[in-house]
Amino acid sequence: MFQQGRTCIIGIGELKPTLDAGGRSTLDLMAEAAAKAIQDAGFHKDDIDGLLVTPPSEDSYFLWPSQVAEYLQLSPIFMNMVELGGASAAGSIARAALMVDAGVCKNCLCLSGGVWDKQVFNTREGKTAVMSQAEIDYDLPYGPMGFNSGYGLIARRHMAEYGTTPEQLAKIAVDQRTNAMVNPDALFKKSITVPDVLASPLIVDPLHLLEIVRPCSGASAVIVSRLSPGASNNHSPVTIQGFGEAYTHNSIAYAPSLTDSPIKLASQRAFQMAEVEAKDIDLVSLYDCYTITVLISLEDIGFCRKGEGGKFVEDTDLTYKGSLPCNTHGGQLSCGQAAFAGGMSHVTEAVRQLRGEAGLRQVKNNDLALVNGNGGVMSTQCCLILGRG
Amino acid sequence: MTDYTKTYWQYISSGKLCLQFCAACQKYIFYPRGLCPHCLQPGLEWKEATGQGVVHSYTIVHVSALPDFQDDTPYIYALIDLAEGVRMPSNLIDCPLDQVRINLPVELVFIERKGKTLPVFKPVSTA
Repeated sequence: MFQQGRTCIIGIGELKPTLDAGGRSTLDLMAEAAAKAIQDAGFHKDDIDGLLVTPPSEDSYFLWPSQVAEYLQLSPIFMNMVELGGASAAGSIARAALMVDAGVCKNCLCLSGGVWDKQVFNTREGKTAVMSQAEIDYDLPYGPMGFNSGYGLIARRHMAEYGTTPEQLAKIAVDQRTNAMVNPDALFKKSITVPDVLASPLIVDPLHLLEIVRPCSGASAVIVSRLSPGASNNHSPVTIQGFGEAYTHNSIAYAPSLTDSPIKLASQRAFQMAEVEAKDIDLVSLYDCYTITVLISLEDIGFCRKGEGGKFVEDTDLTYKGSLPCNTHGGQLSCGQAAFAGGMSHVTEAVRQLRGEAGLRQVKNNDLALVNGNGGVMSTQCCLILGRG
Repeated sequence: MTDYTKTYWQYISSGKLCLQFCAACQKYIFYPRGLCPHCLQPGLEWKEATGQGVVHSYTIVHVSALPDFQDDTPYIYALIDLAEGVRMPSNLIDCPLDQVRINLPVELVFIERKGKTLPVFKPVSTA
């Protein structure tokens, strides 16, 4: 049985997100991030004996972990690919913690990254590349706009069921932008207001441009190891206290509910493993492909009652200065979504905060953080609870 | 293409929306499959749907990257709860954008789009 707090995140490395990868491949970006994480951990490359990777942006998935290991000239004793969409990054941390805790490997490198290609993204082929056969056969003929329309359906239903307003959703993007303004690595750092968000173009009504994540290029690496008190490392250790996962559907059309997400069960399982509750959490790092994703996450994790997320975000300062700091790096809404590394940005930011290394955006209380990874259209959920020391 | 996908679209081409039905579970299923997802047994029957439903949720697409739809924006993409107890993605047509709402009663109608017959929905006429 997994023991809380016996594994830790010992190294992180993240590339500054960019719109143009400058001729680099997913492998190149991943290797750069890996080098940063290994250096951050105070390790040598040979210390890495486990490897978990998320899929590349390019076409060939075949033997992908093996392709990555060969590029990095690693000889792992355990490796695998994790494909849970946006939950892949958090999911790879949970899987690394299990393997390390079980003694299968000592230091597991979790790597994610990708290259954004405008030529591919906004085409029929770009859309079908992220669709299931069932979606291609029975959904595509009606013109769904990929994830945009899926989250649009959720937002519309939440508004109808609970009276959530566009202003309340916009507040999430605004607070996260306030965080991004003190993050030198954010992609978008210009101050925005609620009227700015609502004045940005409607893409899929009721979602506006500034409520929708911007795809970009980047990579992120995290090393999971067994906690060894007193080991020489430049940073305070960040422990993995618990995790929980939940899966109920792939397409939102066939989900049990549009407004109740599997995050509820995933977070309950994580809380149970970590033996803590929502009220013990100091900061959250919530997957934010859209504003509505954050609002439903806050409700389902239990920071407010179901349906009261709109009022909660309206009344709560979600910035690094606030009572529930949320996505203190600015989230993916301000940092961009570097393919599968977008989800890892929530892990790396939580680690920076728990270490006390978040600079100008450092939160005051930093004992316990909750990270959520969300994939598909509220489909795949992996919740992590990370602790300081 | 699988046999059941072919069958589904052949029925559509002949102006019928047919759904698979599992006699053992006494349940309709959507989308079509080789096995019933509830009991994992084969032998699903095809039954014609009544074509009655309500809007479960909808979104008005203003920006579409799909070439077939770029000239059609804004259009209503919706999830329809059919009377048979299943949910399907579709479009809502003949409905002013300010009239669409959740739980709006709708009925089946067929359209041709790019040479393909499609089952879509329109508001139930109140006349």
